[in-house]
Amino acid sequence: MAVRDFSHKKALLIEDMAEARIMQRKMLTDFGFTSIDIAMKAETAIELLRHNTFDVILSDYNLGNGKDGQQLLEEVRHSKLIPHTATYLMVTAETSIEMVMGAIEFQPDGYITKPFSQAVLQRRLEKLLETKERLLKVNLALDAGDHEAAIDAATTAMNDYPSLIGKCERIIGESLLELKDYDKALSVFENTIKERKMPWALFGKAKAHYLMGELETAEQHFQQLTLDNRFFVSAYDWLAKTQLALEKPEEAQATLIKAIEKSPKNLLRQMELGRISLLLNDNITAEMAYRRSVFLVKHSCYNIHDVHVRHLESLARISDNGPLLPRQKDNFNNTLKKVYDQPLEDPELKAQVYSYEIDVLLSENDINTAKQLFEVWLREVRFEMSAAPNKQQSATYLEAFESQE
Amino acid sequence: MKKMNISTLLASAIHESKNQVGTLLYQLQGLKETIDTTGPNQKKVIQIEESLKKLNDEWVEYLYLYRLASDGYELHVDTFLMEEFLDDQVFALLPSAKAKELELTFQCDNRLTGVFDERLMTAVVGTAVYNAFRFAQSKITIHAKKEDSFLVISIEDDGKGFEASEEQPDIFKEANTGLGLYFAELSATAHTIDDTKGYIKKETSALLGGASLAIYLPQPANII
Repeated sequence: MAVRDFSHKKALLIEDMAEARIMQRKMLTDFGFTSIDIAMKAETAIELLRHNTFDVILSDYNLGNGKDGQQLLEEVRHSKLIPHTATYLMVTAETSIEMVMGAIEFQPDGYITKPFSQAVLQRRLEKLLETKERLLKVNLALDAGDHEAAIDAATTAMNDYPSLIGKCERIIGESLLELKDYDKALSVFENTIKERKMPWALFGKAKAHYLMGELETAEQHFQQLTLDNRFFVSAYDWLAKTQLALEKPEEAQATLIKAIEKSPKNLLRQMELGRISLLLNDNITAEMAYRRSVFLVKHSCYNIHDVHVRHLESLARISDNGPLLPRQKDNFNNTLKKVYDQPLEDPELKAQVYSYEIDVLLSENDINTAKQLFEVWLREVRFEMSAAPNKQQSATYLEAFESQE
Repeated sequence: MKKMNISTLLASAIHESKNQVGTLLYQLQGLKETIDTTGPNQKKVIQIEESLKKLNDEWVEYLYLYRLASDGYELHVDTFLMEEFLDDQVFALLPSAKAKELELTFQCDNRLTGVFDERLMTAVVGTAVYNAFRFAQSKITIHAKKEDSFLVISIEDDGKGFEASEEQPDIFKEANTGLGLYFAELSATAHTIDDTKGYIKKETSALLGGASLAIYLPQPANII
């Protein structure tokens, strides 16, 4: 294998332990990297990834108290902060590796277990970059969202390099799902399963059934996946989604609660539990899920306001049954303060915030403040800064205001 | 406090200690760079480094062994080009072989592919090669081939072979609990396709005349 020139590549090193960080940085420098950015925690890494592009990302799984390496990877892949052409190498310990390999939906390009020598890291990086080069056309197509081109390129790459068959088949199957060619996708996944029971193929097959509207079959397959691999938490998310589509929201909620027991720090999962719980009028569970979301959304790439407003909603729904407890009121005020701390421009969300505030005030019988707030809201509506209250809201509020007079 | 199961306890203890070996290895690497590369201490440092690496690899083996034996191991199979896989193994173990003045190579058809759990087979090959270090005269080869519907990975040496070493009276044997073989066997049988399980075979090496430990892994149909 030819020695690779790393001098023009940009690296990002994410590691919380000083000793390992210094050592890995030195290793990268020795390989010829001249541009190495450092992050000690996931939140800093997200900021760096938001404003820069990197060719190589070397991230530890264990990143101290905040997000772990897998959550970071899921978040930046989900928000498309790293292109498919970049190489993501996860540094794991023996205990964490199953969490990484079990993730299936969002996997790093490679992993390396601690402790490793300079020579082993160099070799691993060289091989991964070589694979990235062989799949360059595929990844460029994926980054451009051109799934047809990705399928063509993957078919060629697979013929040229037999060891890439697994990767290419997966890309082809998933691209077909994106192209809504579900029948073809299903046959690609089934073809793989016939030869090798790869978890991603079983997952792809279940997704294809879901997307084709074959919900019972999809439910069975997702259920099986949760049993086969206890580290594959995304299977629970899809199972819940399927159960919801089958109009079994109670089961969907139970499934999500199980997933959260396994992996509590996933924001989107907490948000979904909140949403389903509100549908079920289980406001207490909804509030808990959204409260956790408010905590998790800090320093993440997701829309902060959406999370905050949903938390307010769950508390407003609790107040439908009487005034909030002091602790709940504190939670409401804290999150409300967070909403006002950052400019909220979405008129829809603004209207929602007004309505939740008024709901809570009315539950406390604080009619005057509620009335004033309603007037502020209407003024903002005139300036098109906020959406208007809907008919039902106006009717309810006016009735409440009148009852006092 | 709830009493912990003894195997869980041992596994956690091994894990803790393994982390410390990792830290020691990092520190040693730092030390190595500060001392003269040709001086007499360099050789000693390399010996310590190789021993620590071996210790680390053994503990990885024990952790997997624990998981395999308690059904807590999730198999992650993928397709590998055997040439690349074996090259990786030789690359990782070559410094240890050199320190023992042994030759370590691999042999396989350059188009051969195999389906298996990479981490597990890395640990199995490592364990078998460390074991071969103790018996080889001068050479060890890792060999891979396809036999019927099995992929066969064998670790062969030019020592006296299994039979000769087993005939020795116990007092001449080095302390050997057979844990390595047990690990290889559990790892092989964890690879199952339909009803066909993997297995191991202790043989005489056709290549080098010494011992050969062959790991048979069932392969899916249609894979060349």
